[in-house]
Amino acid sequence: MNERKVANFVLTLALLVPAPRGLAAQLVSKIEAGQYSVSDGVLPMSAIRFAPAVQYEFPRATLTARGAAFLSEQQLQLADGIVSGTFTSPTVYGVRAEMIGNASRALDDRSLGTDQVDVQTRVHVLFHQHGGLWFGGGVARPWRVAVISSADVTDAGAWAKVGNAAAKFGGATMTATFTNFSFNKIASVHDTGSASLSCASIPSTMSSAGPARALFSEVSTGGACERQSRFSDLEGTLHWEWNALEITAQTGYRFGDSYDVTADSRRWSSATATIWLNDRVAFVGGGGRQPALPLRGLPSRTFGMAGLELAYWPISKGAVPVSLPHAILVKSFEVRPVAAGTQRIVIHVGGVETVDVMGDFSDWSPLTLVRRGRDLWELSIPLSPGMHRINVRVDGGPWMAPPGIPTVHGSYSGDVGLMVVGGDRSGH
Amino acid sequence: MIRVAKVRLRLPRHVGKSLLAGALVLLCARLGVAQGPDPLLGLDTNSRFAVDLMIDSATAAQLPTGPLLSRVLEGIHRKVDGKRIVDAVRRELGFLRSARSALGGVPDDELIAAAAVLEAGAKPAQLAVFRTRHKDRSDLAAFTYWADLITRGVPSEDASSAITKLWQDGADDATFYSLWKSVNSDILQGLNPGAALQARIRETPGRAPSSKTPPEGPQETQSQ
Repeated sequence: MNERKVANFVLTLALLVPAPRGLAAQLVSKIEAGQYSVSDGVLPMSAIRFAPAVQYEFPRATLTARGAAFLSEQQLQLADGIVSGTFTSPTVYGVRAEMIGNASRALDDRSLGTDQVDVQTRVHVLFHQHGGLWFGGGVARPWRVAVISSADVTDAGAWAKVGNAAAKFGGATMTATFTNFSFNKIASVHDTGSASLSCASIPSTMSSAGPARALFSEVSTGGACERQSRFSDLEGTLHWEWNALEITAQTGYRFGDSYDVTADSRRWSSATATIWLNDRVAFVGGGGRQPALPLRGLPSRTFGMAGLELAYWPISKGAVPVSLPHAILVKSFEVRPVAAGTQRIVIHVGGVETVDVMGDFSDWSPLTLVRRGRDLWELSIPLSPGMHRINVRVDGGPWMAPPGIPTVHGSYSGDVGLMVVGGDRSGH
Repeated sequence: MIRVAKVRLRLPRHVGKSLLAGALVLLCARLGVAQGPDPLLGLDTNSRFAVDLMIDSATAAQLPTGPLLSRVLEGIHRKVDGKRIVDAVRRELGFLRSARSALGGVPDDELIAAAAVLEAGAKPAQLAVFRTRHKDRSDLAAFTYWADLITRGVPSEDASSAITKLWQDGADDATFYSLWKSVNSDILQGLNPGAALQARIRETPGRAPSSKTPPEGPQETQSQ
């Protein structure tokens, strides 16, 4: 297959191109083993889920690719995959711009796999790092969902954070989002995955629908018809962290005409609990109901799951970049050799969203660490033998010297840490 | 939540397209960043001219230019004005020159660490004892903890005396680390930095307790 040959060639070329200094690729993975069940006719199954991911971090951009596969009944089954990029402007007077692009694939069963490309831009207003609101819009283009055209997506939301994981009653982040989808349905499908409506029956049905008729513009072309559809999702999410316990719960309501929203997608709610056994292992359990995703051609479903999670990497939706200066929460800092010329920076800090380092090894450009556990952050970087200067920050706060290593006064402001990387001294 | 398809591992055509798209994105990302702009573009013309002169001067004196460039980049990323950046580069160049005069032809990484000691407040003469080289022995750790002790408030003479004595006694990196960690812990508990060092250096087996002992010549030396 020519495409595969070209893909292999380009991939090889990409890997051969020397990565610039300071660009760190992070390979992360998540393995879940547990019992999954769905309500749409598929029998409950036992499965082990593999979710490898690779992430490139830039100062103002993140490029991520991840996928998932299930090992079930001695058969490897593909699940889904996504390539996404997030670009963020500097924050000026508490306002910043964000652009998010995703190319994703979801496979619901052997015959139904859907692809989608979506791009969104947002303006995000931050209020003293404890809350914020955003609004924006974009376009989602589904492929292989024959009955749906491109969709215009507009969204707005707000978030607030109270407490923190180390507080007496923990910390909670509350998010509310309102997302509007506007698209054209082609042919006769009523709501993907549910009852269908033939072209011929639309007029009579609509005539009895009364005021809802104004929402539709019908076009009959060669036996197919097209009508404009829209629906809106209002969703609230609560994420609560307290010691080794994390609970995420969400509930939502879908506004829209009954032709676009089936009864089983009108309301939904779900919850997931994570109990951390140590930095890298957690018990995860949850269940609930998820609405249909018409743009993806996926029906609503009820799910239940329980499993053990090894390694932890939260995939941010980019909607809630909570930022708090938690300098005091940095518990430890270590540098460990992992390979010739490569060192791994390991930082323990809890209750934060991002951890960055910068130093002479990165030409003083920030590098973002990857979360590997509840409060464990890591980054592997090439480091030459010798003394290196380093600063660390959490949640975009002030730069500071890491704890537990020697420090000196910086040339400009604050202190910088000194890392000593050993090497072969035989040549000296 | 669960979207599963029983798909054979034989890749269908659309997977080839996806692989191609992913590979192209990866290639573009690497190429795009690899062709970055001149890192010194953030400097104004006058500052750039001054920095270029100092880098040329360092090259002519066979001093490492990496620390100078690092100061510039650090200043740019911290949004410091050009004059402060030039001053910082000038100071660093001075420390490197002094360290070279005191130590002679040591490797660049040790020279850079020695410059950090001078920047912290040590005198060039205090470095002189490290001029004599020990084969396969690095003074990186000694310099690093020395610089830190001065930064934390230990009198320069006391810090110099302690580090020099340990070095002459053949202390390894672990010994320097142990001393530093103990002193640091005492300082964090409120002890006077100088007193903390004096107390801890006495606990180090086989080390002389003197606080004002001037730097001595090396007891066991091996020329390069």
